[in-house]
Amino acid sequence: MFNYLFFKGCTIPASLPNVEKLALEVLPEIGINLIESDEFTCCPDPIRLQGANQYFWISTAARNITIAEEKKLNIMTLCNGCENTLAIVNHKLKNNPALKKTVNEALKNIGREFKGTIKIRHFLQVLKEDIGLDHLKKMVKTPLTGLKVAGHPGCHLLMPNEILQFDNPVDPEFYDQYIEALGATSVDYLTKADCCGISLALAGDKEASNRCVKTKLIDMQLSGAQLISTACPSCFNQFDSGQLMASRDYPKLKEKPIPVLYAVELLALAMGRSFEDIGYNLHRVKIPIKIKR
Amino acid sequence: MKVLRLKYEKNEITKKNKAIEVCFKCSTCSKFCPITQHVKKYNLEDSFITQLFEAEKPEALNDVWMCCACEKCVITCPQDANPTEVFTNLKEKSYQEGLAPSIVYRLVEQLLQESTVYSIKFANMIRKRAGLKEVKKNEKAVKELNVLAEKAGLERKEVN
Repeated sequence: MFNYLFFKGCTIPASLPNVEKLALEVLPEIGINLIESDEFTCCPDPIRLQGANQYFWISTAARNITIAEEKKLNIMTLCNGCENTLAIVNHKLKNNPALKKTVNEALKNIGREFKGTIKIRHFLQVLKEDIGLDHLKKMVKTPLTGLKVAGHPGCHLLMPNEILQFDNPVDPEFYDQYIEALGATSVDYLTKADCCGISLALAGDKEASNRCVKTKLIDMQLSGAQLISTACPSCFNQFDSGQLMASRDYPKLKEKPIPVLYAVELLALAMGRSFEDIGYNLHRVKIPIKIKR
Repeated sequence: MKVLRLKYEKNEITKKNKAIEVCFKCSTCSKFCPITQHVKKYNLEDSFITQLFEAEKPEALNDVWMCCACEKCVITCPQDANPTEVFTNLKEKSYQEGLAPSIVYRLVEQLLQESTVYSIKFANMIRKRAGLKEVKKNEKAVKELNVLAEKAGLERKEVN
């Protein structure tokens, strides 16, 4: 069993609580034991809060890391944004003694110190490095045979590659291998490595956001995908509620809506759960999907 | 073809981001930039990145907040100019000068009040539906964040 301190972040507890619940239930079945903590704050996010004040962004992330250091546990997160922030800050502070000194001066005021003793891992990295997809394949109870899934790895788990060292940022492969390990068929599509577009909506340009997600959704439709799957909660929201928003501008999307499943939801289906069990009713796009079992 | 001329010579931004000067406007990054691809006013001839690099007061261009730091420009830049880093620095300047979108100031306010970027009250309504326990405000964490914000000089601004 691999023990990890569960960094829930903000998006999962607030908008995908069923995923939080599912992770705590299902991940122990594949050898990941998650320990909860209520001491964490927002990571903070690498797009807007890093932009507001980089020094605050670094010291807040460092504070979160010290919580795991005190417990002598590595962190696991289900969010690409949290992974991006925490892994970048952990790497910077481990490799830049001057920055570490400055940040520790700030942390001293709250009785904390960054030591650089733990690792930060996204769920997919834990699968890749600790569990192994071959082993995961053997643990699958109800393989998702015949299900065509378009994987969306998301940007913030791929770059900066020199720090995250997770997958090829230009032509990512791991998410497709994960889909295949669960017994489903991963479909290839042109815009796989492209951004989901949610940041365009968050910055106020809904039209651009709709156009961006539409481009990906049409590509996925053409590839024959029945489902989308991603391991980033923000991308999930863009493919779920964002798809509904975009379908007002692009009626073609209404003809063949494609539901999205978060990575742990897809895993739960392969571990014998039903669509009802995974909280599918909480999704916005929820057309019935049949799996041969 | 337009030649990139920096209108802001050796100002704070160029001093902090020497890499801007090595950009020769080949537009490679723009082909992969979600902003140039999907925001109507930009195109490869006149991309988001080059507009920002050419602007007299780039921090005043609100579109810099559209940058999601996906780093597609970083992977593709043949000159290693690291545009994402420049945009993050521009966002910071924009925030300091009160030019950032109001949502950013609201996010900071929310974070410093509850230590999360979501409202705990609204999150608990959704969590109840999913059968999950309530999230409680951690007063100690909030206090610690406020100390770190003060040390970092993070300004809070009232927005409507």
